[in-house]
Amino acid sequence: MRVFVGVKRAVDYAAKVRIQADKKAVDISNVKMAINPFCEIAVEEAVRLKEKKVAEEVVAVSIGPKQAQEVIRQALAMGADRGIHVTTDMRVDQELQPLAVAKIMAALTGEHDPSAWLLGKQAIDDDSNQVAQMLAGLLDWPQATFASEVEVSEDKKSATVTREIDGGLQTIEVPLPAVISADLRLNEPRYATLPNIMKAKKKKIDTVDAASLGVDLAGQIEVLEVSEPATREAGSKVEDVDALLAKLKADGLL
Amino acid sequence: MLTRAAMRVASRGASAAALTPARHMSGATTGLLGGNNAVGDIFTPTEDHKQLREMVRAFTKAEVEPQALEHHRDEKFNLPLFRKLGDLGLLGITADPNHGGSGMDATAAVIAHEELSASDPSFCLSYLAHSMLFVNNLSVNGTEDQKARILPSACAGQTIGGMCMSEPGAGTDVMGMSTRATRDGDDYVINGAKMWITNGAVSDTELGDHFVVYARTGDKGGASDLSLFLVEKGMPGFSLGQRIKDKCGMRASYTAELVFEDVRVPAATHLVGGPDREGKAVLSMMRNLELERLTLAAMSLGIARRSIEAMNAYARDRKAFGSSLNRFGQIQRLIADSYAEYAAGKAYVYATASALGLDSAGNRVDSDGVKLYCAAMAKNVADRAMQTMGGYGYCGEYRVEQLWRDAKLLEIGGGTNEAHQKNMARDLSHVETLP
Ligand SMILES: Cc1cc2nc3c(=O)[nH]c(=O)nc-3n(C[C@H](O)[C@H](O)[C@H](O)COP(=O)(O)OP(=O)(O)OC[C@H]3O[C@@H](n4cnc5c(N)ncnc54)[C@H](O)[C@@H]3O)c2cc1C
Repeated sequence: MRVFVGVKRAVDYAAKVRIQADKKAVDISNVKMAINPFCEIAVEEAVRLKEKKVAEEVVAVSIGPKQAQEVIRQALAMGADRGIHVTTDMRVDQELQPLAVAKIMAALTGEHDPSAWLLGKQAIDDDSNQVAQMLAGLLDWPQATFASEVEVSEDKKSATVTREIDGGLQTIEVPLPAVISADLRLNEPRYATLPNIMKAKKKKIDTVDAASLGVDLAGQIEVLEVSEPATREAGSKVEDVDALLAKLKADGLL
Repeated sequence: MLTRAAMRVASRGASAAALTPARHMSGATTGLLGGNNAVGDIFTPTEDHKQLREMVRAFTKAEVEPQALEHHRDEKFNLPLFRKLGDLGLLGITADPNHGGSGMDATAAVIAHEELSASDPSFCLSYLAHSMLFVNNLSVNGTEDQKARILPSACAGQTIGGMCMSEPGAGTDVMGMSTRATRDGDDYVINGAKMWITNGAVSDTELGDHFVVYARTGDKGGASDLSLFLVEKGMPGFSLGQRIKDKCGMRASYTAELVFEDVRVPAATHLVGGPDREGKAVLSMMRNLELERLTLAAMSLGIARRSIEAMNAYARDRKAFGSSLNRFGQIQRLIADSYAEYAAGKAYVYATASALGLDSAGNRVDSDGVKLYCAAMAKNVADRAMQTMGGYGYCGEYRVEQLWRDAKLLEIGGGTNEAHQKNMARDLSHVETLP
């Protein structure tokens, strides 16, 4: 089976972001970018499927500007076989929105015939958590979101997926092909070792212009304003419990 | 323990919540050294270097940092963690890819040392002794047979290596060494002692696995007196004199005295570079010293970076006399001077790395120069961090105490400050105009 994995290039988890002067977006002009951590988990799972001889081929797909190739290279260094870079100059943290991403992935699906899409459950830039669900809808495939365990059946016709849901864990079985989204505890991604970084240089990345796929890339949501979280006001100290109660009452909190 | 990914997702949330108001953020990215580390700048010549840095940084944060304090306190070398560097391809970072190495350049070596030292300089010193002083030395100077026999296991971390130059009675004065190898039939017989050998021991009683050992094979009083031998654990007469304890710093790296009593090594296989290399070790020594000094300077960068991060955060968060410490001029000087010196040192190290071929000698002014400058820089920066952090800085838990101790070694090991000054002044005496 062939597994497609989505890898998004997002602001690095440790980077401090600030907001553009026009308040229309986060300023990403000189910010460290990295593979979205949930996507990294999805790559790891796909590579493990390959190591278990469940998958024959793992293809890493990233949509974005030229630099998106960096995260594809990282996926290749982790063990993916080849990459597809769908090029666009739209900002992937806000202009290119989940529905358009899902449509692009659906278009690639028709052409390449994967047996599964493995995606991160969400990206840490826009935190949308929508692409996997929309992609499943567009393809009319089953979806298994928030996976913490994935087991493909011996005949490779279905997968048993443990999902992290509010009440605990839910185990479902989905026929393949399916869309699976990775949650945090699915696995611990490996490091891209130096020998594998070197090997990855020889692996192929195909480039496709997003505009050539015949899908509507326009955003459905307009960003009116981006603002920083409110800063926390300094607290105050009280002498004793009585004073605390009095203050809470005075502030109308009790 | 949080998984690596969990750490990232969690701290992403935390940093978003802790967004500081815009006026504080205006200087947050630091031009040359901050931001994106774009491929093509001197710190990141290629995409490979970028991926290397990301990998080592992630590994350091997740696996080196959590063990550093305990191993520093207990003077314990973390052998299992060391072996993991082999899985990552770091132990043979510059070594021949045909023999298990990763075939990267001096800049890559600098990146690895800088990143590891930001959490644990003493762990990094053991890494340096193995990867630069032993593995790289053998990869550059050894025969194909020697490389094929030893490098794969050394690159994988199955065996631990080191380099023996210093002696109880001769350090800076290398040519004054007294360890002697005497030709006897098809063998050389080595007698003497070596001192301060990093990775000389892997426990209180057990030797490291293999060593390159400089020994005297002549008495002409010049460069042709020295030869380089391979000596391995288990050879009769080769023993651990003592593991040296209670060092000021680099406490998680094992340092040992090694004793050679009639150690018999076959000339055909154990003279590094082949049987015709008697009396020709000085070139190998010069080549390797350049890389050693460069990577020791790279360790200074990691120490300084971490120290600056620590003092900067502390000076921002700690309040005294109604304001943050970083509002006081004296503290501002500690922070700003440290940053500027760090940035200058970093530029010097990476510029020197880009010019340093692994198999050539001839960069001595700058390979001595980077270490001379950066060792003092790191020591001063760590000291200022400790000063900024007051009593907290003086205690192990806040981590700069280890950095402060470890930094001092860089003014002694791999050549003392005075040795660098001597070399540089001698080389510069032939120069009329500087570029
Ligand atoms: C933790 C640690 C790890 C080490 N690891 C290794 C290793 O793996 N392999 C190895 O071979 N060695 C190793 N060394 C040894 C190190 O390289 C030596 O300590 C160093 O070269 C200095 O030699 P020395 O200690 O004999 O001091 P000396 O050479 O005796 O120097 C003492 C003082 O005299 C000064 N001095 C000496 N000559 C002159 C001169 N001509 N002009 C002015 N001043 C002078 C020195 O600068 C110094 O200040 C290590 C040392 C330490 C502490």
